[in-house]
Amino acid sequence: MNKTKRKQQSNKVALKRDYKSDSDSDGDADALSTNDGFVEPEQKPIISKPPQKKKKYKDNETNKVKPPTIEEMKELRDTRNLFHSNLFKLQVKEMLEELHLKSKYTDYIDKWLENFTTFTEQLEDGLMDRCQLEVPLHLHKKTINFIFSKPEQPPQLIGAASQGTLLQPNFIVDIALEMPKKCFEKDDYLNLIYDQKRALYLAYVTDKMKSSSIYREDQFAYNYYANNPLKPVLELTPFAKIGKHLKFRLFITAPVETFRLGRFVPSNNNIRPILFNDEWNLEEQPLPSTQHYNANVLFDLTLSANQSLLNKSFQGRRNFQDGLLLLKVWLRQRQLDVGFSGFSSYILAMYIVHLNQQRVLHQSSSSYQVARTVWNQLANSDWTKGISLAQQATQEQLSFVVGFYDVCFMDITGHYNLCSNVPLAVYKRVREEAKLAVDLLNDMKINSFSYIFMQKCPLYTRVDNILKITKATSVQQLLLLQNHTEMKYDYANYGYPQMLKTLTDLLEKGLAQRIHGIIPLETAVSPWSVDSKAPIIGQSIQLGLILNPEHAYEVLDRGPASQDDDEGAAEFRSFWGDKSNLRRFQDGSICEAVVWAAVKDSPAKKRLIVKDICLHLLEHHFKLDKDDVQFIANELDIVYKLSPWFKVNKLMDKTKMKEELDQNTDSEALTPNVIRCYDELSRQLHGLNDLPLEIVSISGVSPIFRYCESQPVLPQTRLLANRRIHTNHVLRVVIQLGQSGKWPNELAALRALKTAFLIEIGEKLKEQCHLNWSLTSEGLLIIKRGYCFLIELAHSKESALLKQQINERGITTYVDNPQSRDLERRHYILPKVSGALHSLHQSHSAYGPTVLIAKQWLASQLIDDGLWSPMATELLVAYLYQQRHAPFITAAPQTGFIRLLQLMSLSDWQGELFLLNFNNSWEDQQIADLEHSFRSDRESYPPLALATSYDQQHAGRLWTTDETPNRLVLNHVSKLARHALELIETNLMSKSLQFLRPAQLFRASNEGYDLVIQLKPELLANSLNYDMGSPFVDFGQPNFNLPLAGQDRLAHIVAHLRSAYSDYAAFFYKPHGGKELAIMWKPPNVFAPKAFKVNELQASTPCVGNRNQVQVSRDTLLEDFKLLLKDFYARICTTEDLKREQKQHSKPKRYFQINPKQFENESMKPKKQIHKPTKAKTKTINTKKLKGKKILLKSKPIKALV
Amino acid sequence: MVEIEGYKVVPLRMTPDAKHCHSIYMREHFIRLMDPNKPKGRTLFLLNIPPYVTEASLKVFFKQFGKVESVQFAAKPGREETIKWYEGLDEPFSNVKAPFIFKVAYVVFEKGSSIGKALSIESLDLFNSSQECLIKTGMELWHEEYEQKYLLDPEATKKRIKLYMAGYDKRERAALEEAKTSEADADGWVTVGKEGRNAGFEQKESVIGRIENKLAKDKKTKELKNFYTFQIRESKMQNIVEMRKKFEEDKRKIELLKQSRRFKPF
Repeated sequence: MNKTKRKQQSNKVALKRDYKSDSDSDGDADALSTNDGFVEPEQKPIISKPPQKKKKYKDNETNKVKPPTIEEMKELRDTRNLFHSNLFKLQVKEMLEELHLKSKYTDYIDKWLENFTTFTEQLEDGLMDRCQLEVPLHLHKKTINFIFSKPEQPPQLIGAASQGTLLQPNFIVDIALEMPKKCFEKDDYLNLIYDQKRALYLAYVTDKMKSSSIYREDQFAYNYYANNPLKPVLELTPFAKIGKHLKFRLFITAPVETFRLGRFVPSNNNIRPILFNDEWNLEEQPLPSTQHYNANVLFDLTLSANQSLLNKSFQGRRNFQDGLLLLKVWLRQRQLDVGFSGFSSYILAMYIVHLNQQRVLHQSSSSYQVARTVWNQLANSDWTKGISLAQQATQEQLSFVVGFYDVCFMDITGHYNLCSNVPLAVYKRVREEAKLAVDLLNDMKINSFSYIFMQKCPLYTRVDNILKITKATSVQQLLLLQNHTEMKYDYANYGYPQMLKTLTDLLEKGLAQRIHGIIPLETAVSPWSVDSKAPIIGQSIQLGLILNPEHAYEVLDRGPASQDDDEGAAEFRSFWGDKSNLRRFQDGSICEAVVWAAVKDSPAKKRLIVKDICLHLLEHHFKLDKDDVQFIANELDIVYKLSPWFKVNKLMDKTKMKEELDQNTDSEALTPNVIRCYDELSRQLHGLNDLPLEIVSISGVSPIFRYCESQPVLPQTRLLANRRIHTNHVLRVVIQLGQSGKWPNELAALRALKTAFLIEIGEKLKEQCHLNWSLTSEGLLIIKRGYCFLIELAHSKESALLKQQINERGITTYVDNPQSRDLERRHYILPKVSGALHSLHQSHSAYGPTVLIAKQWLASQLIDDGLWSPMATELLVAYLYQQRHAPFITAAPQTGFIRLLQLMSLSDWQGELFLLNFNNSWEDQQIADLEHSFRSDRESYPPLALATSYDQQHAGRLWTTDETPNRLVLNHVSKLARHALELIETNLMSKSLQFLRPAQLFRASNEGYDLVIQLKPELLANSLNYDMGSPFVDFGQPNFNLPLAGQDRLAHIVAHLRSAYSDYAAFFYKPHGGKELAIMWKPPNVFAPKAFKVNELQASTPCVGNRNQVQVSRDTLLEDFKLLLKDFYARICTTEDLKREQKQHSKPKRYFQINPKQFENESMKPKKQIHKPTKAKTKTINTKKLKGKKILLKSKPIKALV
Repeated sequence: MVEIEGYKVVPLRMTPDAKHCHSIYMREHFIRLMDPNKPKGRTLFLLNIPPYVTEASLKVFFKQFGKVESVQFAAKPGREETIKWYEGLDEPFSNVKAPFIFKVAYVVFEKGSSIGKALSIESLDLFNSSQECLIKTGMELWHEEYEQKYLLDPEATKKRIKLYMAGYDKRERAALEEAKTSEADADGWVTVGKEGRNAGFEQKESVIGRIENKLAKDKKTKELKNFYTFQIRESKMQNIVEMRKKFEEDKRKIELLKQSRRFKPF
């Protein structure tokens, strides 16, 4: 029955579309998808079946299960076999439902097309003279004779609209209008005459439409299709309300028989050099081929043939349409379809047709199968060898065409290359994304739905470095100096693809294996009004470089040996210019080589190698200066640099250190020193004689041992005469002793013995290794080579004793409690995770610095460790460095940070559990169980849920708590991240703006706080990091006093304040070097009078008027703060006061008067120092500017928090 | 003289000229189920004690009305609250600290007559005659905490450990002795220790669990499964029910996701 119905339908629906299949293709879909288990969304009957059944089953209560229907069985079983889970399938289904075009749109489009058809029928032949509008084409115009003749064919829907795959949120309905053949003369294919006529035709039709009564109110604009200046289109936005989401785009095409298609074979020349007044010596070389221009014309000529092929394959096949929709969503999220070099969804649609032709895709494949097959085929495809839709295409023909294009996918006529403008890098990129999609689908452990379809991954987050050339003069110079003149004709003098080709060729050759690929980052041209002239486009270029971390930062490029390969050496020399030197290598050979950095240079410096190479090449080959181009690589790395105010020389003099320290260093470069010292210490610990029990394991658990310490750790620790240790950083180490049965069974006794052991170790270390030590309640402090280590002793019995409980039956049970969980985390799980993160950094050297930037960013936004667990940052970044996020893991910390911001801004914290499956040690079942428990019992997990595969039974609850971060802070951070990302994006993609100064990102807003408590600056040491300044006061004299070991006063006091007063106020401070405590009162209702209740009396006093009510008074709380901060605060004021002060005093006010001149000297000197190596990069933070003027506050105010 | 619901309200002054003060609500402690540590008639109950106030300072203040037996804190009024407050605090070698929050206090006098006097005060003054605050705060407090609580003197600590371990050994030995003698108590029960000839198995959850599991397993092996037709039919049915359940569950999830509009890709 289904079949007959279907036949009737296909007759009825006939040529156009079937958007409306929602209601009447039920049977259709059923018949189509019998084999694959993927039930199309329209199939309502089956979906609604199970609940009915369940109801019945419950109603009967006779324990009888209703026998399943065959369909149901099939469906249930097929989901199990085809998808990971019902969930994925249902998610896809829901999304498709969301995407399907509503009938109000389809009806509107139908009606519009009908009107437009009658409109075109009423058009009459005429001369162009009366046309008032500008011609949307920017060319060397030669006046040509053009007489408009009315179209002979009705306009036709093309592309997405014809396939029923229009995509939200802005539907663009493409319509093609065919110029009749009689518009053209015989030779019009030559020298862009065709394109001019096409543009004139468009202008004429537009003019007529504008003056017609039907379209008078609509909005008219021209645009270039796919940033192609030869393809102007009319964009028409209907006046009706529907125009908010709907646009019509009018293409002008020509019938296929206009010109002989053979004229446009790639090797032919259709644009003569004479057109641009260039001379071309025909005897020396043949006319240059214009394959890209030819393809451009062929696009129009073959359009109707290709369109009818598409119609044939897609119309009436909901499964293909939906499959294409899925693919389009996927492509759009990756922004690979943008611009001239984009991989458009048109290609995807054609590829589906191709696969169908090849019988890889079956007619009845489900939409999911369509998408999956396309990805699979795409991932394993090689279009550089060419594929073709034409039935009669031979291999020779293909291989002939292949020579002219990077990527080759011939259309149905066998003449037009659908991928003519797609560069190889973009195709490769699409292929890799497809491969990633397949891998994600195959990975049973994760539900990949949101990775594939929901998450936006803008192209700029997928590249490591960005090269921007936006200056008009630079562009001109580049085009002038490029040595492939033939490209000018090929691209009809369009600058963009010429630059793209020239630059990619050059950089690919220069960077060779340092990069995986160079991808153009394009933005779509914005439309212009029909009355103004067509803009010149392509006057800027942005290239994204994807680095190959294995080779990107190699310090040396080795050329051919000069004695063996003279020619090669000469070529190498001329390529690299004066950078190339003859060098003798260890294997005895003498080669040409280019050296970019010293092997010993810091990693941050090595990360600049690619930048140096690119800039050098541009200068050498195109005389482009550093200032003419922008290279965005590691502008943000500055945030973990050592402050220039801190003088390393002084430290070295004072401590008489053996190692040399560089003033121009950063946290990352300092880490190996610490780790080396730690390794030495562990050797000494292992080597201790006469300990009652052997030390079996030693593990460092502080962030520095996994390259995650954002503060520079210098060997500064000092032991004063009164035996007090002063240090900035206490590095925690956990040790375990060998087995023994003699440990006591009582907690206190066990702890006593542990302490005794620590004393023993300390004494032995002093005796045998001459290390100073001191005992604290947390563990043993040891000073070694200027670093301070804190040794803790772990014993498994301790956590067992903490957990031990005896229940009412007298049975001993072990129950987790907060203390035992904390202990287990510190002593057992953290060492393992620390090790895993350490090895992650070893394999991806950008991991550590990314964490450093992220931590500094959070700190600068006044998010301290009491609000946001620092482990959460480390694990979130680690999560990004897992394979599943991008085919290539980034090698640039800055990109890593941008990806983190993206993760933070887009994540659905409520619904997502971030799982780090280190070493893949968790099984499918474990993960499924965890996910299940997470979903069903969300409330028992903290707002931000992180789990690692070492967490055992605590998974998801170990690294974050309900308070760090709580929901408000989490949302606040999301908001901040979104804002930061916006800033970065506009700066990156803009043609005029420079990349942002780090201070724009790394300085919080001072808006929204009620009070600021200024603390005595001499009591708080500054951060050793490069300081971006505080949001509240101007720079003061920094002090680098060392605090007592293990005492972080500000953190301590804020923790106290939070525990007592968090119901009434929120507290913020900058964790490193912040000298203010910002306070925000909770909303007024907290301070409103309330009834007397014994349990709710905290901080309340009786109201003055009404004796029976009480209320909390802010003044009293303020007195409390003052009391608790006695001897510690300088004053309390509001942010307005501070701002007023800053305005009033031309000279910034400081706590202590210093000679301004002196300060000037101090601040300027170090500035020079730090900028020397990176001078050209960006205008980084300018202290002078920050000091005097009102600072641009870029971050969001905090008000949202309460 | 302010009174609310039977509570007398007095300001808590940290300095003689303090203007904005916390209000302390006091009354005689009285509940039906008396706690022996808070005896009837001698205990003063105080509400809304700020977090920084210490037991010692209150003791010093209330001394003027008669000898003070003890001052106890709790997070909120209630029977077990005091015990909870002090849990783990007196344990040696542990880092547990009392919570830093608003709290309630119980002041136990030696004589009941002191209560009346105490209730007649105008203000609760935590400063001494030379007007110095009784409570250490700010830098002073942190310094003291660091010196006395955080840093440990090795020699003194060693001594403490020795002393404690001696006590522990004694206790252990006594317990061992007791287990060995294993005499019947008044009801005729004998405590069986881990050692000796009649040692029972350890009364641990894991041990018991293991034994129970074993029993269940033994039982299972004796049973035949999927043997009779009805069993096969039943297991098939079970299978379908499970699959349907899973389907339903996933659908519910989707329903939830749908509410949060997670299906709009753009």
